[in-house]
This record gives sequence, structure tokens and C-alpha cells, in this order.
Amino acid sequence: MGAVLYHGEPNGASLTVLAALAESGLDIPCHPIDLLAGARHRLPGITEPIALDLGIEGEGPVLVIDGEAMTESVFLAQYFDELAGGCGLQPSDAYAHWEMLMWCRQITERLSPAAALLGNLASSQQAIAAIPAEAFASLTASVVSDDLRARWQALHDDAIDAGQVADSQTKVDQAVARCEDKLADGRDWLMGDFSIADLVTYSWLAGMELIRPEAFASAPLSRAWLTRVAERPCFLAARAMATTSEPFKTWAPGPEINRWG
Amino acid sequence: MTEVTLYHWEPNANSGKPMLALMEKGVPFASHYIDMLQFDQHKPKYLAINPQGTIPAMTHGTRVLTESTAIMEYVNAAFPGPDLMPADAQDRWRVRWWMKFMDQWLGPSFSMIGWSVFVGPMVRKRDPEELAAAIDRIPLPERRIAWRKAINGDFSESEMAESRRRVALGIAKLEEELGKRDYVGSDAYSLADINIFNSTYSLPLSQPDLASRERTPNIMRWLKRVYERDAVKRTWAMGKTDLAARYSLVMEGIV
Repeated sequence: MGAVLYHGEPNGASLTVLAALAESGLDIPCHPIDLLAGARHRLPGITEPIALDLGIEGEGPVLVIDGEAMTESVFLAQYFDELAGGCGLQPSDAYAHWEMLMWCRQITERLSPAAALLGNLASSQQAIAAIPAEAFASLTASVVSDDLRARWQALHDDAIDAGQVADSQTKVDQAVARCEDKLADGRDWLMGDFSIADLVTYSWLAGMELIRPEAFASAPLSRAWLTRVAERPCFLAARAMATTSEPFKTWAPGPEINRWG
Repeated sequence: MTEVTLYHWEPNANSGKPMLALMEKGVPFASHYIDMLQFDQHKPKYLAINPQGTIPAMTHGTRVLTESTAIMEYVNAAFPGPDLMPADAQDRWRVRWWMKFMDQWLGPSFSMIGWSVFVGPMVRKRDPEELAAAIDRIPLPERRIAWRKAINGDFSESEMAESRRRVALGIAKLEEELGKRDYVGSDAYSLADINIFNSTYSLPLSQPDLASRERTPNIMRWLKRVYERDAVKRTWAMGKTDLAARYSLVMEGIV
């Protein structure tokens, strides 16, 4: 099996997948790429590109297995768990599994687009705007998805709608409030046992402590949970793969904000 | 007593997914038809089941489940019967990828078009004050916005153009996919087929310029294969509007 995981710095979707890989114990080579240089759109040896070209998650990691590009961090975490014969990242009970999927979907549909927007505005917009015109044109020309290209362009042109920023702040606040509710019964992990829900929620929320600290001001349980997750061996292993001292300040255009409002 | 109760609208898009999954698994269920065009899903009786006011919802004993794709995954895991997920991990990933592609990227475009040409005109015939009150009862703010747009015909030209672009591209990509494998994401019938069939079963009627024997032979072969399944026939027989009547019209066109 020819396999390689192309990933950005350990933050957001890349962090989820790196931590899941570490938890699974699978031996899959990892290859860091510069997402802000558009490297994700120039990967070699891809014969089945649709999940890369039309992925929902934006500039997330890409697992290439025998030429097929595989994307979406939650599904890649499930893939690693199942390929490893079940490493404990998914509940075996059908209802508990449904609850985990529902939680993950809330995170990937509501929190991750919001966090990516705020993260990009705080940390990457200047870098994107500073890309010379010819290089930016070449970068965006390599992006197959029209809507992902539009998100690059909006950051480049500083054309972000103020309403979307406010909405994104609200969604971060709501995600923290949901965590606080979930942890109120004294549990250590969001679904009871440690699971993909902890991976994906931590990966999008950890960087928000820097950008939206007010969301965490009245959330002691969530802050303690963030600390517990950060100390898990799989996250220590993922963080050790950083090539920058501040991976939580590393963002690239993320998932689309719901078109329906 | 039946252990499973499904609250659903037509065998179409989201409601059809758990209907067909239950039918494929051979799970008996009590059917509660929720008339979306009468806003049944926002009335107190239904909000007592699902406070978010979205359809479908399913109860299994004391458990209440929502979100159509997640309900399907629960149904497949919780009940005996044919496995509707492939065994191979990479096939399973692909099935999940296609379902997300439909649920989050292509499906909303299908429904924006469907609401503008079908749902909006149907409900606009009603008393405006009654409509305004019905919208005010919708619990989720996103759904309130969507319903207002659908009822008032407020989807902008750029929104509609983007939805049409996505539908055309999505159909072309589905055609490519079904040229590689017998079913969506794998060579076995799975939840991905149930998911995507529910939003594409009437394409030859609704988008004949994009989906036809000449333009999309792989999609047409796949539609025919799925249409011929006994569970599909029994599910579509549960429909009450002319959405379900499209079933026989399409069958006539592809057999």
C-alpha cells in the first residue's frame, strides 16, 4: 500500500488527523506541506483527486493511498481507527456512536468554519495579502474548487463581511458553552470516553483561546478539558511535528460558512 | 408494539434516507407523516419529540434521534439485516465522503432550487399572516432565514446561479464516480446510495439537460439498479404528493 499523509502545522483539521494517526499507532509516513503556499494543490501522484478538489473542509490534510486523495478530518480519523482494528476512538455502542457523530457534525459545520475565519483574519490574512500578484494568481489557478478559491480571494482582498465575523464569534462562544454543558457532570472527555469528538473539538478550539478569550472566561471546565487533551500522548506527538513555535497561530482558508445564512 | 417510530415527510431528500434504510434492513416501524407544507414540524406536538423542529426524527424505545444521515448510520449499526456499509476501511471512508459531499455541498443547492420552484410557490398560496406566524415558530434561526427566503422567493440571482453551478458540477462528478464503481463509493449498495438516490432519483425529470441516457449513462444505469430494489419500491409507495409519483414516470423513462 503506497500511503503518505500530507499535513499542515498541527492546528485545525491537520491537528485532528495527526493526533488520530498517533492514537492509532499506524505506521503511515507524514509529509508536512506549506498550506499557505498552496502546496496542497500541487501534490504528486494523485490519480483520484475528487476529494482533494471538492473537499468541504478547505485547506485540510490529504491522505494519499494508492493514488486516491482522501480528505475530511473526522472521516480520516475514523479511517485510521478502523484500519487499526479499532483503537478506541469510536464508541462501539450504536447510540453512543450516533451521539459522537452528531457532536462532530456540529463542530465541523458550525465551529470549524467560524474558527477558520477568525484564525485566518488574525494570523494569515496579512501573509496572503502579501503574496505577489503573479504568485497569487498562480496559487489560485491551482485551486480546482471555485468556492475554495473564492475564500482565498476574499482573504486576499480583505473582503470579509462584518456580519460573518460577528456570527463566527457567536459560534465559537456557543461551541465553548456546549463543551461546558457536556462537561458539567464531571466527565473527563466530551462523550464520556476519549473519542474523535475530543480530537476534532480540541483541534478547532485550542487556537480560539488566543483569539476569542472571552468565550472561555466563564468556562473553567472547558479550560481544564483543553489542558487534559493537550497532555494526551497523541496530542504531544502531533504537537512535536510542528515546524513553528506557535502552531495555533497557523491558519489557511477553511470550510465554507453555511450558504443558507 | 413497534419499537421504532419514524417522523418523516415524503420519501425524498432527508426524510427518505431513514425510511429507505429501515426498509432495507427489514426493521418494522410506525410511520408518522409530517406534512412539511402545513408546517407540522413546527407545531407543539412534533416539537415535543424534536425541539429543533427538523425532519426526520426517529424514536427507538426512549431514544430520540435526529439528522438523517446519522440516523441511517444508527439504523445500520443497531439492527440486524444486510450491512449497508462496506467492510473495507477505504470504501467506508469514501461512502462517508460522498454523504458529506451531498449533505453539505450539493444537497443544499438541490434544495435551494427545489424550494424556489416547488416549496415556495406551494406555500405562498396560503394566508400571509398565517405564514408569518408559522415562520416565527421555527426554533432554529438558520431555518427561519431559509423558510423566509423560500416563501418570499428571496433567493438572489447569484445564490441561484451558484446552486445551479454546483448541481451541474455535482452531477458530472457523480457520473464520473459511477463510471469507476458499481455503486457510490464502493462496489456494493450502501448508505451512500440511499443518501444520494434520495436527492437524485428524479434528475431525469427535473434536470433533463444535465442527466439523461445520452449525457449521464452511468447515473442512469445506477438509478435503474436502485429503482428496481424492492425496498425502494415499498418506500416510494409511502409518498403522498406528486414527488413520489415521479418515481413511476422516471421508471418508465429508464426501463
